[in-house]
Amino acid sequence: MNTIKRYVRLYKVFVAQFFKSLVQSKADFFIGLCGFFFTQITGIAFLYLVFEQIPVLADWSLEQLIFIYGFAQIPRGLDHLFTDNIWLVAWRLVVNGKFDRYLLRPMNLFLQVIFEKLQPDALGELLVGTILIVSSLMKGIVIVDAAHVLFFVVSVIAGAVIYTAIKLLFASFAFWIKISGPVLYTAYQLADFAKYPTEIYAKGVRFIITWVIPFGFVAYLPASYFLKPEVNVLATVGMECLIAVIFFVIAYTVFTIGTRAYESAGN
Amino acid sequence: MKRKWKVYRPFLENQFKRNLAYKGSFYLFMVCSIFGPFISYYLWMAIYGSASGSVLGGLTQAEMVVYVFMSYVTTEIVTVGVSGEITDDVMEGSVVMTLIKPIDYRMSLIFKSLGEALYRFLAPAVFVWIGLEIYKATVLGIGITPAVNILLYIVSMLMSFFIYVLFDFCFGMVAFITTYMFGMNMAKNAILGFLSGQLIPISFFPEVLQRIFDFLPFSSMVYVPVMVYLGKYTGMDLVFVLARQLLWIVLLYGLGTFLWSRITKRLVVLGG
Repeated sequence: MNTIKRYVRLYKVFVAQFFKSLVQSKADFFIGLCGFFFTQITGIAFLYLVFEQIPVLADWSLEQLIFIYGFAQIPRGLDHLFTDNIWLVAWRLVVNGKFDRYLLRPMNLFLQVIFEKLQPDALGELLVGTILIVSSLMKGIVIVDAAHVLFFVVSVIAGAVIYTAIKLLFASFAFWIKISGPVLYTAYQLADFAKYPTEIYAKGVRFIITWVIPFGFVAYLPASYFLKPEVNVLATVGMECLIAVIFFVIAYTVFTIGTRAYESAGN
Repeated sequence: MKRKWKVYRPFLENQFKRNLAYKGSFYLFMVCSIFGPFISYYLWMAIYGSASGSVLGGLTQAEMVVYVFMSYVTTEIVTVGVSGEITDDVMEGSVVMTLIKPIDYRMSLIFKSLGEALYRFLAPAVFVWIGLEIYKATVLGIGITPAVNILLYIVSMLMSFFIYVLFDFCFGMVAFITTYMFGMNMAKNAILGFLSGQLIPISFFPEVLQRIFDFLPFSSMVYVPVMVYLGKYTGMDLVFVLARQLLWIVLLYGLGTFLWSRITKRLVVLGG
């Protein structure tokens, strides 16, 4: 209990520091927000243009796809907001030896890495996600009852954990190969496949995004639970949670082994 | 002319060689960049599968396959940005060095981009292109593209390259005003990807928007060369779109010159 209290207190200190740097550059924050916002908006506009031509895509309607698109943004945005510093481990901190400073402090290494930075640009993703979900709710295509609301929260958190686990796993390779940025980038880009229904892909692609790098579990599978009444919660959100736990344990283990293999570049 | 070539050629060569030096990460990025067209490919197959008609936005399914992969090839070669380089130079203050050297900053950037484009042409693009032609002839059964289309495509694509580079130079001038180019870049890429025809053919847009896009340089970057490759323009239409590309080169060149002279007048650099 005391450790948790200590970490909460520490996180507050880190976040406070971060906000101080944020107010220094309000314009930057705004530009970053716009950047993410535009990226998402064009994705939605694309769907609109396509659905001018067709009534349904692989059994999904435009409204459903927009809900799923928005739903996928939330875990992505959460992960982005809280754990963006993992990218720096992959690109810089290991190769230039700056990872040393974490090793010197009496605090959990993983938490130190993610505590150090918040990525406010992610608010753009969260904003778009929220807008799309709210508009879907108003159209009445989403099932709303106590269980679904509860599992919505669970699913969003599990999705964010999947994102974090994938990032952590590939970033940890840096402890052996020094710079794992390109590898991480490759894996992360696979998330783009998850924007559309997994049914449309060939078997091999589907296998990869479901079981090797499980981005398929972040959006479509859980989203179907909120759209279709006949879908079983265990097979969707339950499965997502299981995958999240398994992948996080794997990633965290690799990360821990990696920190032991870490050789400083010297200063 | 000859002297200029001698001065700027090393920029081209160096950029090319630099890419050869960092092969490892380059190949990974290449693998990544190929995800995009494959996602589009599957998506469009599903879209055509769900459609009642066989022609969407003026393209048949087979033509769409060509569109997807040729827009990838074109984007790879054409969108070699210079604004990133400008940002770095401004941030580090080394942009002053370019002002005291007897070379044209923009020209040196263009030549660097040419080196990069050449490398990208050789590394992934040409193989995807050949692969596509083989796929066309064997699986799609529509035969390979006629030589005249290929030639016209190359001309159009080269003009696209200059439109993009000159546009990106103008965009890079923003780096003198804001320090957060990461966000600006994301916004730019999103808008360009959408309006240049990279994400979806311009012919899918409503008529009104298409008319508006005719007055913007973006469709000349990707959409026009790919449609030229598909042989969608004939006679006067063809002359018109190519002439419009040329016009954009002239206009963006002029705009770049104007912005550069204005901005370097008020440039303040500390240290460097």
